Amino acid sequence: MYPCQFGVRGWFQSLSTPEQNLLIAVAVLLAGLLLGSLAAFFVRRILFASGVDEAVEGTPFERTARQLGSSTVQLLAQLSGLFVFVVAALYAARTIGLVPEEALVEAVGRFLPQLFVAIFIVLIGLVVADKAELVVDERLKSIKLPEVTIVSTLLKVSILYVAALVALSQLGVATGALLILLAAYAFGVFFLGGLAFKDLLSSAAAGIYLLLSEPYAIGDEIEIDGHRGIVQEMGVFVTHIERDGEEYILPNRKVFREGAIRIRGE
Amino acid sequence: MSQLGDLLDDVVSEVDGAFLFSPSGSLYGRFQEADEPVVVVGTENDVDAEAFVELPLEFEDVRERIRFGIEGGLENEFIEEGDQVACALRLFADDIDTVTRVRAGDFDRSGVYGLFVDSRAEPEVIRNVLEVAIELGKKGQKGKRVGALFVVGDAGKVMNKSRPLSYNPFEKSHVHVGDPIVDVMLKEFSRLDGAFVISDSGKIVSAYRYLEPAAEGVDIPKGLGARHMAAGAITKDTNAVAVVLSESDGLVRAFSGGEIILELDPEEY
Repeated sequence: MYPCQFGVRGWFQSLSTPEQNLLIAVAVLLAGLLLGSLAAFFVRRILFASGVDEAVEGTPFERTARQLGSSTVQLLAQLSGLFVFVVAALYAARTIGLVPEEALVEAVGRFLPQLFVAIFIVLIGLVVADKAELVVDERLKSIKLPEVTIVSTLLKVSILYVAALVALSQLGVATGALLILLAAYAFGVFFLGGLAFKDLLSSAAAGIYLLLSEPYAIGDEIEIDGHRGIVQEMGVFVTHIERDGEEYILPNRKVFREGAIRIRGE
Repeated sequence: MSQLGDLLDDVVSEVDGAFLFSPSGSLYGRFQEADEPVVVVGTENDVDAEAFVELPLEFEDVRERIRFGIEGGLENEFIEEGDQVACALRLFADDIDTVTRVRAGDFDRSGVYGLFVDSRAEPEVIRNVLEVAIELGKKGQKGKRVGALFVVGDAGKVMNKSRPLSYNPFEKSHVHVGDPIVDVMLKEFSRLDGAFVISDSGKIVSAYRYLEPAAEGVDIPKGLGARHMAAGAITKDTNAVAVVLSESDGLVRAFSGGEIILELDPEEY
């Protein structure tokens, strides 16, 4: 054992410096290859274990990846493996002095992780955007209104936009203008959306209280805002009251604003 | 065997329309050029047909399936009363293997299409209730046969024409038929007497209701018990639909307007 190791060390020291460096470079490269594939393997295992492969099933991104003989999980795993390998290759190159300028290596070394993170973010953004579009479309499938697909498209574009923004800022590109655009967009969505959904939201808030505490139930006779009748249906947004074949559909916020009269007995 | 071909030609000669029951996309594509109206009947409109009648459930009984399809076709005015119609459907195989000829309006309208489409409650809700009843009829409660009565739709009026037999286990709960948990709950509560009241949107309003409708003029076949009588009476007195699982013969019957509209044997599903 010892003589053998001794022998290897002796042999190594007998080599010239460039030869030593080359050997180290090759070793680093091999270690990088090994570590890279190990990283890819573990990333893939983790992604599979957390059900990412099932979550991305059916997204356009996954389909494109499949057509190219890969999959989202494999792509992510390969990317992380590649990252480890590239870092190793960089060190190997520096060892044999292939890259003369130390500053360049430093700069590349600092830039590389950012680049990889940016790529990761774009990939994840793509997958999440596709998935969100799919889920929303699935939810809205029962509504037979072609224009409703704009909701999912809008959501997808928003997610892609945010992902692109994060990726760009990761790379150090000036994103100030894009950020302002995002702020304006978010303001528009929340402010105008809130304004548009004001009545719905206040009805829903009242409806949740009504459903939880049930001050009146289906079959009770009540009067809301001058409409008297038997409660036929209670929902989150509206209450249906029926009397003599006329069904009033009243928003729940009316119950809170005007109060309801419950008619008991004869 | 050209005679067989002739026979088939005789069956489908001079028909005014064709009904395809759950056709494949390619089959429907071949029919698109036809001059006569082609109506697709199925649980889902897979082929994006213009004339489509939605089956609420896969009727095992072929006659029921055809009847539902034809009544739906008449109701939607895809065909007219008295039209000769060829129906292509599957009987044994997984794809279409049977062609039959029917004259629309030959049999009295049972209203089975109207039961689903024209009721107060949503078709989906009625279908879910029927499925629960069929499931209950198949398995029973712990191996024992049970009976059950579901009153669907017009819940406000039904509640006012009934009284509680016991505390209502569904008070302040907001479960709907079709929720996975509900099957188990309904099975448990079906052990106890009384009716389930279900609203138009499928919310289970109450269990243990004793129905007190005006029962005059309700005519149901002899041999059926109080549960069916109550079902017939409540549907005559209100705009509700009732689904009854008989404890004695194990059949599921649907009532509307005081009459039996549909009779199903749970064992066939």
